[in-house]
Amino acid sequence: MTVVLWVVCGAMVIAPIAAIIILSAGGSQLGVLLQGDVVEAAVNSLVSATTSALAAVVLGAGFAVLFERTDLRHRRTLRLVALTPLLMPPFVGAIAWLGVAGPSSPLNVWWRQMFGAPLWSIYGADGVIMLLTVHSYPLAMLVVSAALRRIPSDLEQAARISGAAPARTVFSVTVPLLRPALLSSFLLIAVGNLADFGIPSIIGLPERYVTLATLVYRYLQSGIVEEPLAVVATIGVVILILAAVALLLISLIGRRGWELDASSSPVQLLPLGRARTPVGAAIWALVLGITLLPLLALLSQTLLKAPGLALTIENLTLDNFGAALTSATALAGAANSVMLAGLAALACGVLGLGIGVLTTRTSARAVRGMNSVAMLPQAVPGIVIAVAWLILAPRIGLFNTPWLILAAYITSFTALVVQSVTAPLASTPRSAEEAARVSGAGRLRALIDISTRMALPAAISGAVVVAATAVRELTLSVLLLSPGSQTLGVAIFNFQQAGAFHTAAAWSLIVAVFGIALIGVATRRST
Amino acid sequence: MSRSSLTTTAFAALGLAGLALTGCAASTSEAEESTADSADGVEPTTITLYTSEPQEKADELVAAFNRIHPEITVEVFRAGTGDLTTRVATEQESGEIQADVFLAADAPTFENYAADGLLQEYTPADVDALDPAVVDPEGYYTGTRIIPTVIAYNTDAIAEAPSSWADLTDAEYADKLVMPNPDVSGAAAYNAAVWLDEEQLGEEWLAALAENRPVIADSNGPVSQAVASGTQPVGIVVDYLVRELADQGSPIAVAYPSEGVPYVSQPVGIFADSENVEASRAFVDFLVSTDGQELAVEQSYLPVRSDVGTPEGAPELADIAILSPDLETIRSTQAEAVETFRGLFQ
Repeated sequence: MTVVLWVVCGAMVIAPIAAIIILSAGGSQLGVLLQGDVVEAAVNSLVSATTSALAAVVLGAGFAVLFERTDLRHRRTLRLVALTPLLMPPFVGAIAWLGVAGPSSPLNVWWRQMFGAPLWSIYGADGVIMLLTVHSYPLAMLVVSAALRRIPSDLEQAARISGAAPARTVFSVTVPLLRPALLSSFLLIAVGNLADFGIPSIIGLPERYVTLATLVYRYLQSGIVEEPLAVVATIGVVILILAAVALLLISLIGRRGWELDASSSPVQLLPLGRARTPVGAAIWALVLGITLLPLLALLSQTLLKAPGLALTIENLTLDNFGAALTSATALAGAANSVMLAGLAALACGVLGLGIGVLTTRTSARAVRGMNSVAMLPQAVPGIVIAVAWLILAPRIGLFNTPWLILAAYITSFTALVVQSVTAPLASTPRSAEEAARVSGAGRLRALIDISTRMALPAAISGAVVVAATAVRELTLSVLLLSPGSQTLGVAIFNFQQAGAFHTAAAWSLIVAVFGIALIGVATRRST
Repeated sequence: MSRSSLTTTAFAALGLAGLALTGCAASTSEAEESTADSADGVEPTTITLYTSEPQEKADELVAAFNRIHPEITVEVFRAGTGDLTTRVATEQESGEIQADVFLAADAPTFENYAADGLLQEYTPADVDALDPAVVDPEGYYTGTRIIPTVIAYNTDAIAEAPSSWADLTDAEYADKLVMPNPDVSGAAAYNAAVWLDEEQLGEEWLAALAENRPVIADSNGPVSQAVASGTQPVGIVVDYLVRELADQGSPIAVAYPSEGVPYVSQPVGIFADSENVEASRAFVDFLVSTDGQELAVEQSYLPVRSDVGTPEGAPELADIAILSPDLETIRSTQAEAVETFRGLFQ
């Protein structure tokens, strides 16, 4: 069992990463890294990833403190609503925000009529950073909220008793205690945003704001460089090194962290006092602006008969919706996505369950390191994984088949299941297995009958997360697509690129609403 | 599909589900094994079409073809011409070309493929009814629609339409222009070569145009959308998209530049490697048949045969000035022209 898992781990994680490193280590393309457009794209990537991560942490931490530690009204509802951008694929968010702040959005058109120039066009660097922020602050909010719950409010109370005002308490007691969580969420988000493809290609390219992800895509698609694979492999290794540095920093921070004894006293909420109502109103406006506005923009784009018309009742139609829903390409894409996501969930579920059980339940030397290997891809930007599989593809006969996308999904998403299996298993004592062994079960039998069964629910919920992530994924499948294996994400992206904006908007709306509804149902069931 | 032991092991984890799905991927070999003959005498087959037709139009085309040939499944892969040629080049290097039929923007690309031996000769049925200008004399490809590139403008924002290519270099249009990227769009790549080859325009004109800082959209679709919505009120774009949007009610109209318009003919050809020759030929025949051309007219294209009418609001080709340069010159200069364009605009 261990051997099989190691082989699979090796094939799915080590082989692709090794392939990309070997191809670039030839060094024939090192000169590429110093070319003007590559340097420019690298700078753009770094700047957009770090500034958006910083903004996301500030916003996410702010929300977390407000929703966890103050007496703001409707905290729980606000928290749920504020999480929704996490459920919308970034490229769908980009398409939606074009309707809010694109150069021809109703707001900008009106502003231009009044004042001669549009208010703010989302295209370009500022738009890319803003959208990356919107799509990553919920992650910071989750990480910081979790950390906040582990910080006893006794310390805050002590500060308050000594005469500190609520604001001073937050900034001189709570925030310093949160520092490790803030830093690690910053690095996590920066790595994720470093290689996002959807947002910079839809929002950045029209103003020629090129990032490494869009540059790699252009190089591979349009063949404007010699030996595109070697060139993008070299670029991929640079991204990989950046990600590795960030990962190293995260683990250093983790080691330096300190454990506070959990307090049994109930959390004392900081009173907002007179600011309670205005702050509440401002937060509602902000959260609804971030979440509801883009959805409404998608809706209006879908319903408008033709571009350039005024948004009035007689110019609205449901025809675009009908046309989009019957589009053979989109339907085939949706079928492909569901099939690939289902298979990926199954494969990741089985693999993650096996790895999770083995690494937490046995102490054999042979399983050491397996956990780290399986978790490694989480820190590897998707675009690097895609390029790696492109390099491997012709050598293993998967070139131009949908299985290539499946392989990349397994590489990328197994970590999600491993993570969800390991956490609960690590905290349950081994007494049940010991009892089984005492009653005469073999080691394998005890492992399968007890540990695996115990971990099964966690593996299933991990697999569901894999399916939900894979079904609306774009970065991997846009680079690995082949005839007949376009995913739904690629289909929507292509509609957008080809100018079929209303079809793209209709499907974006479907994906967004479906995702939010799914999570809504899931959370209702769990509470 | 050959697989190494590594992947086999990886997929072993999938067990039965994986096996079941391998069967789902409708491979050509599977289709060939099937022996059931259809009424038309063409065996049930799957052909793969690489095309730069807009997705919705490609879907309609396949649906119309399947009404006549339900036994032939057409798998469509759509991308810009530039992206398609890159894909074909990659596939050629790492194995075999996956496509049977290639339907994309410009004749020079096909001339290159024919010269490299990538295409097989086929003259479609009923060739005499077609405009001889779009039929390759050597028989490697046939044009399927006439697609002129014109100036489009937003009628709400622009009172007096530009009447020539030269007009567009006027400072009045600074930051108001949008045009497609020749790296992606085959029509745009062709246009770049034609403009550079044209005496009245040439590199001087292109440089002056670049000084007006046009927005470079990826393909013609977004260009027409930008003009219709007024984001950039003047665009250089293929004519049928403008007609379509005007039909839907957008404030957009066409201006035919006085120097003449370049046009591409969206040729179709069959790859030499294709193993589904009969089905591919049936598809090519359909494209230029009366049925296929009537669909083209419905889709706002100018047809390549004279017995199917023209789209509403379209001009007679005889009424507009056409730039028709020497094809061989364009073929040999197109790559360089795209490079020049990239240098000036990006």
